[in-house]
Amino acid sequence: MKILLVTSVEPWVRSVSTIDKYVSAGRELGYDIAVYGEPDPELPSMTFTTDISDVDLALFVIQVPSDLPDMPELARLLDSVPRDKRVVVDLWGRYNDTIRLEHDFNHLEKLDGHLGWEWEEAFRSVSNTILQPALKPIRPDVESFLFHGYDPSAVVRNYDSAREAAAAWSKAGPAEKPYGVMYVGSNWQRWDQIRSFLERYAPVRETVGRACLIGWDWGARPDWAIELGIMGIDTDPAFLADLDVDIWDGCSHDNAAGHLSKAKFAPVFHRPLFRHLGMVTVRTFETFYADSLPVLMLPRDFVEAVYGPAALKLVPGDDLAAHLTDALEHPETYWDAVLQTRSHLAVNHSFDRRFQELFGLLDRRMTARGPQ
Amino acid sequence: MKILFVIEYRGNAGNTHAIANYIRVGAELGHEIAFHGPSQPLVVDGLYLPPDKQVARFSTDPSAFDRVIYLLESKLHRVNRLQEVALLGTIPREHRFILDADGRYNPFTIVDGYDRSHYDEAERAEWLEFYDALSDRIIKPTIVPSDDPKVTTLPIFGFDPALVIDPETAPPKQYDILHVGHNWWRWKEVSEQLLPAFEEIRGDIGEIAFLGLWWDAVPEWAAELDLEPAFRVEAEKFRKLRIQIKPPVPFTDVIRTMSTGRINIFTQRPFLQHVRHLTLRYFEEFCADTIPLLMLEDDLAEAVYGPAGRELTLPGRVAEKIMDALQRPDHYREIVEDARRYMAVHHSYRRRVEELVTALSD
Repeated sequence: MKILLVTSVEPWVRSVSTIDKYVSAGRELGYDIAVYGEPDPELPSMTFTTDISDVDLALFVIQVPSDLPDMPELARLLDSVPRDKRVVVDLWGRYNDTIRLEHDFNHLEKLDGHLGWEWEEAFRSVSNTILQPALKPIRPDVESFLFHGYDPSAVVRNYDSAREAAAAWSKAGPAEKPYGVMYVGSNWQRWDQIRSFLERYAPVRETVGRACLIGWDWGARPDWAIELGIMGIDTDPAFLADLDVDIWDGCSHDNAAGHLSKAKFAPVFHRPLFRHLGMVTVRTFETFYADSLPVLMLPRDFVEAVYGPAALKLVPGDDLAAHLTDALEHPETYWDAVLQTRSHLAVNHSFDRRFQELFGLLDRRMTARGPQ
Repeated sequence: MKILFVIEYRGNAGNTHAIANYIRVGAELGHEIAFHGPSQPLVVDGLYLPPDKQVARFSTDPSAFDRVIYLLESKLHRVNRLQEVALLGTIPREHRFILDADGRYNPFTIVDGYDRSHYDEAERAEWLEFYDALSDRIIKPTIVPSDDPKVTTLPIFGFDPALVIDPETAPPKQYDILHVGHNWWRWKEVSEQLLPAFEEIRGDIGEIAFLGLWWDAVPEWAAELDLEPAFRVEAEKFRKLRIQIKPPVPFTDVIRTMSTGRINIFTQRPFLQHVRHLTLRYFEEFCADTIPLLMLEDDLAEAVYGPAGRELTLPGRVAEKIMDALQRPDHYREIVEDARRYMAVHHSYRRRVEELVTALSD
């Protein structure tokens, strides 16, 4: 089966990590799968192709407008791959009515030049099958397909037991884990959550350890955001300096778990739009690769549905400081939750499983449509 | 038929004017024709015209159309990415057409060592790649048949007798000689033929004016694009000959403005004349209350305007012809009327729309 992933990939941003997993997992499963486009020297392990003959399935994985190819490739692609072999995976909830939440949004013309109806018409013109990585998509003509997944072989350090994990984690010194808390992700619609987290972590900062943010634009609000009046990329350098938060620029996708392993705790945040839509992201799953205790800053029902019931242990209540302190004092119960969750993810959210879900979903749609 | 034109909408451009005519005449024939894009209501004297007076119709819904025509001029006009996806994903390739308005679908050609089809072969290759990706059907607005099976030759522009200005209601004549059009690959013709003739007769004629962009100076960005020859001007010569330079007028005002000249001189970009492209100006000149004098070869003039066309050509006799037209206006008005009658039969927009619909139905 020949599968084409139509999207733009950059080593530093968005869902390149998931795309990389689809290519490698798909090829292991025997699929002829590649990203549409010319090879990118910055992504040497990823397979690319511009051969669009005999494509069985083209997944248009869309976050930003440039995920759709430019002319003349765009016309060639749409003319060569029949509509019934094209599927849109709408990773950012573009195919919805316009949503505004806090400073977050799914359409904003002044940012990318596109209005809501343009997203809708473009998606509809590409395919009848529109998927979103949401537990329950809002629109009836959208189906749930979580897309992002979990690769057990990517776990930085495996343990046979929670006790072993807890012992190793507690014993790790400053050279191994120089940080108490680390978040990897760019400053895009998450500042309010980050600030709230850091404010509540502050009372136990000395005990937990230093915090670190890795990603673009945490150090200062970028000029383009000021010029365009785009909110949601706020930051407060003085506040971060007061808390002695270390700030690094973005890291390439294959280093995220390695970096997170340098901290005792790794919080998971979803931007307001994704929380509202119940969407998963790369980091939803990738954080569990790290040799760190995830702190799931997510709704409990969402956590249970995606991660399984054991993961509820990793959701702090109202008292974040107490949660972190308790984990430091009783790490084994938390690591037990992590190991159970990893098992749950391996069974329910592997990329192998994603391929099965995708093909099952497409078969059901084909059957429902009947002979063409 | 429902036809969507993807074009860079410019209120002062000939192609925009022509498509506005297709929209109006097409509606009379039962066809729905529109510009692609958000609505851009026509404003006259600071007021929006009411819907029934709007010349142009706009649509951003490709699913409402049977055919799409990409009218491409001097640059590869692009709609935004998502709208491009919607167009390409909705209208199948066999229903997509390219109207090659600037003759880009031709071999690399240099005319008179000056005007050219493309900057170079590499640019031509880029255009052809774009065309090939978009469509298998090219429409060339020329009267010369093509032996390329992908090409349909079809004069796109037409003559609308309803637009002819009645001399009784025409604006007062302000100029003896008027030239309406942008300075785009015109300088060789202007400097080598028109200006020497003007110099010869300058003392015998009244006001002369050139209306349009870039007659006063080469635009700053031209050198950067290596397009300086396309905009070449000699302001000192204009000054010496007391030639007025005026700004361009919107397409809705072109004919009325031309009517302020006793004579209008028609020039055409050399390359487009070489490939026999008929532009809108071929016909607009004859709607104005003026005597059009044409910088065209006799055979081409006759092919477009009938036998009367030969009486209006200028090459080789510019000064003589201008003076004759100014001295015998009634004689020339009869010639112009003959040409109008010929065009009403052979080049009406009604006929153009029917020809286009036939071509798109193949």
